[in-house]
Amino acid sequence: MTQPTEQQNWTEQFEKDVKENHVFIYAKGEKNAAMCGFSHRVMQVFDQLGVDYAVRSIFSDPEIKPALTAFTNWPTTPQIFIGGKFVGGCDIVMEMYQSGDLQKLIEETKSAS
Amino acid sequence: MVSIEEVRQRIEQALPGARVRVGTFSGDDHFEAEVHAPQFAGKSLVEQHRMVYAAVDGLLGDAMHALALKTRPLEPAPHPTTSESRRRR
Repeated sequence: MTQPTEQQNWTEQFEKDVKENHVFIYAKGEKNAAMCGFSHRVMQVFDQLGVDYAVRSIFSDPEIKPALTAFTNWPTTPQIFIGGKFVGGCDIVMEMYQSGDLQKLIEETKSAS
Repeated sequence: MVSIEEVRQRIEQALPGARVRVGTFSGDDHFEAEVHAPQFAGKSLVEQHRMVYAAVDGLLGDAMHALALKTRPLEPAPHPTTSESRRRR
């Protein structure tokens, strides 16, 4: 995955990430190689739903975490985007998965991307 | 190191009138909180969680490795006239 070299470019990169991928996850660790239980759980949910997603590990560059926190105004990881919009962290995705709202949102945003 | 009590107090101070339950899981730096607050009414889950994160600003990351959240708007207490009309029936 391409990486900008300067911090101010990360915002542009995030906008590109979430626009070009129906489901995008900023996680601790890479796809299929989560390094944190919460990131693992979130990836597992999308695996179970059979929904494809892209992942950018916050460990891949030290500038990502502060830039991402500023971008979303959200202090924790993972952070999940669906249809280009910030959905929340692990707790919200799990809650939406259990209520069926996550599946609904995925369906509703499918054609847009 | 931060205590369960400190986390609970921080949230209660930021959200007066809230019902707050705080605990830990997998070690003493992984916190979980269930917060029912009147301030959450009409707010999205993202906004509700942001309000709790703001209450523990500065703790997350260092003293606190994780804060698992379950948030709900707290319904206002039943209006006195409601119970009165019930009594009259």
